[in-house]
Amino acid sequence: MGGFIDGFGVVLQPGNLLYCLIGVVIGMLIGVLPGLGPAATIAILLPITYGVEPVSAIIMLAGIFYGAQYGGTITSVLLRLPGEASSVVTVFDGFALAKQGRAGTALGIAAIGSFIGGTVSIIGLTLLAPVVASVALDFGPPEYAALSLFGVLLVATVGNGSRLKAVIAAGLGLLLATVGRDTFTGASRFTFDSLNLADGIDFVPIAMGLFGLGEILYNLEERHHKVQTPAAVANIWPSRADLRQARGAIGRGSVIGFVLGVLPGGGATLSSLVAYAVEKRRAKEPERFGRGAVEGVAAPETANNAAATSSFIPLLTLGIPANATMALMFGALLIQGIAPGPQLVSEHPDLFWGVINSMYLGNILLLIMSIPLVGVFVKILKVRPAVLAPITVLITLLGVYTVANQVFDIFLVIVFGVLGYLMKKFGFEPGPLVLAFVLGSVMEIAVRQSLLIFGGNPAGFFTRPISGTVLVALIIVLVLPAVRLLVRRRKEKELV
Amino acid sequence: MLFSKLNRRVLVTAVSASVLLAGCGGVKTTSTGGKGDYPTGNIQMSVGASPGGSTDLITRAIAEGVGKELGVSVPVVNKPGANGALNAKELQSAKPDGYKIAVQNASLFTITPLAVSANEVVKLDDFDLLGGISQDDYVLIAPVGSGYKTIADLKKAGKNIKYGTTGVGTGAQLASALTFKQAGIPATDVPFDGGAPALTALLGSQVDVATIQVGDGIEQVKAKKVVPLAVFSAERIKFLPDVPTAKEQGYDVVVSQYRFLTAPKGTPDDVKTKLADAAKKTYATDAYKKFNDAHCLTPIEVSPDEVRKILDGYATKYKGQLDQLGISLAAKK
Repeated sequence: MGGFIDGFGVVLQPGNLLYCLIGVVIGMLIGVLPGLGPAATIAILLPITYGVEPVSAIIMLAGIFYGAQYGGTITSVLLRLPGEASSVVTVFDGFALAKQGRAGTALGIAAIGSFIGGTVSIIGLTLLAPVVASVALDFGPPEYAALSLFGVLLVATVGNGSRLKAVIAAGLGLLLATVGRDTFTGASRFTFDSLNLADGIDFVPIAMGLFGLGEILYNLEERHHKVQTPAAVANIWPSRADLRQARGAIGRGSVIGFVLGVLPGGGATLSSLVAYAVEKRRAKEPERFGRGAVEGVAAPETANNAAATSSFIPLLTLGIPANATMALMFGALLIQGIAPGPQLVSEHPDLFWGVINSMYLGNILLLIMSIPLVGVFVKILKVRPAVLAPITVLITLLGVYTVANQVFDIFLVIVFGVLGYLMKKFGFEPGPLVLAFVLGSVMEIAVRQSLLIFGGNPAGFFTRPISGTVLVALIIVLVLPAVRLLVRRRKEKELV
Repeated sequence: MLFSKLNRRVLVTAVSASVLLAGCGGVKTTSTGGKGDYPTGNIQMSVGASPGGSTDLITRAIAEGVGKELGVSVPVVNKPGANGALNAKELQSAKPDGYKIAVQNASLFTITPLAVSANEVVKLDDFDLLGGISQDDYVLIAPVGSGYKTIADLKKAGKNIKYGTTGVGTGAQLASALTFKQAGIPATDVPFDGGAPALTALLGSQVDVATIQVGDGIEQVKAKKVVPLAVFSAERIKFLPDVPTAKEQGYDVVVSQYRFLTAPKGTPDDVKTKLADAAKKTYATDAYKKFNDAHCLTPIEVSPDEVRKILDGYATKYKGQLDQLGISLAAKK
């Protein structure tokens, strides 16, 4: 525990406080801009960190990473632009709330949920990091396969429209996930000999196109039919009733986010989806979801922030970077002569605890910053659509370009924008498509890796405790309702 | 409907901020001026990979030094896609004026063509070479509890060995495939998307062994979480001096990643000399040497001709070995 307390000593040095503040402010700003993610930002700032103390550098870089999670909510709620896969779920109810003039409620709840989720996750990190890390290693390809299958099946239930349409959209998402080079054989799939498609389609153009651009195109058409005035921004801050309603969602979201966030590759996305599905299932009136349920924003936002925090565990305890942002922090540490590995805690306790404890502080800073910013950002909605729409399009196109610096991606976002418009017109929701797309590639790789490990025998999935349990649970959840339906039908027949 | 000044200000700030940030990614290069006064504008270094990987970090380290030497800005732009082929093709068609250069990977020219479709193949002759940079070696590792200490132990295990690699068409895949085939060990290739997931799978004993880049696994070796069985360099490397090479263990497998600096074909000689000199001076700095050591990179800062010789040698050797052993890295059709 000595290290933990010394860690606060490290954080509370004025210099480190300042770096923490700089980090979270930059993080929040780049989070607001769709496309430009924390990885690209950290890459640009990397040379600056060379001259800085290692602890300060990592405190700042970490701040950028979790600060971006806060900022990402804002565009998802206000403009229907999810910049990251883990904030797609937030769009469903967040944007619906914004349309009802309750954007302030959505953003406020998201900020509070993010703060609590982040903080709970840091407490978990403080107390359980080594244990969790070793459990995470038990998650091999078969477990990922089972979890992502679970995720894909959940996708069909998150929508609010027709189940069939959600399944069709999810199917399309799975198909899109197969575009690009086959990870196992090197064969090109659906690339039409274009190098731009060799690595498949990036998440950003798909999400920006289907959600953001699609919505704008749809509104253009709508406006011919009726005069559209932006919804009056009613209350800036969530009411006590809203908070009471979101309480449970925030609690459960924190735990779900912490646990699933430890898994590299899709952990954060999966956690937001699972948290949302859990709330919808528990709700007395699940039909409220997708139409502006406060829990529908609280759950995924809490979970993705908790997941962002716990995704530090593999880096700090095992020395394995879980994503591109972590890889850059890994690089930043190496330059400083510190090699993140299993011995990091014992060799550099000041760094380990300094970074962890800076997150407590960073989350408080983010919450304090969010409160006045919510008031500022919701005013964006007062802008006439005729002015706001072209600006949103511009931001979208720029954002998409910054992902890989490819003009091709701009064309791609336009194609998906048209698709998004058509989907909306015919009553298909983009959420299931985008989520199935993200989870589909995780699932394909995990299933095929598993089969290689099992020597081609699918029974292997059931002989491992974790994947077996998940799969059996899935079968029960899927088969039981079908059986119940059959029984009910038969009874009805008997009655007749 | 009117909107207040505040709203307008918010929007203007948001848009100008995004324009500014987007601008950081693609700073305009001005290439005016005649012979001799190069460089007069920014030199862009593009990377055919996402931020955070070895190629990206090496590019950024060199950009830092070259920028200081030549007194201009050297922005780094990531253009990931197709193992770097996308970036290579863009560089190939860029104006050969020395304002666009890139670090490229040998594997793109020597190994990837053995695994991917023809349209993704890039040829070395389409570029001007500026010089060699460094070598990034591969190590075969096993979990501590497995009891494996050498390649021979894997043979003695008498079972199908599942080996993790960093992906299809990588040196890790080639090195493993050659070793297991030569040793006559029945084995299954389980490709992962890079070193980190392969290492994670190995630590959790999801696979029996894995081949990853030394820099990705050295801390786990030092912490005795994994056992190194062999390195695939020609001679032992200074970062793992006690680990024998595959060659020492009787297998003719020498595979490593090798990076070098390239420019579009037809870049004027004086410009090339200036760039190569600036790079050389960067390599000589303590900061850069420290960078190499931190990432377990062995400097091979040789002339363009030698780069070509090294690459041609590898390409011919790999192809010959694969043909001889009847291994195919690519999809079985």
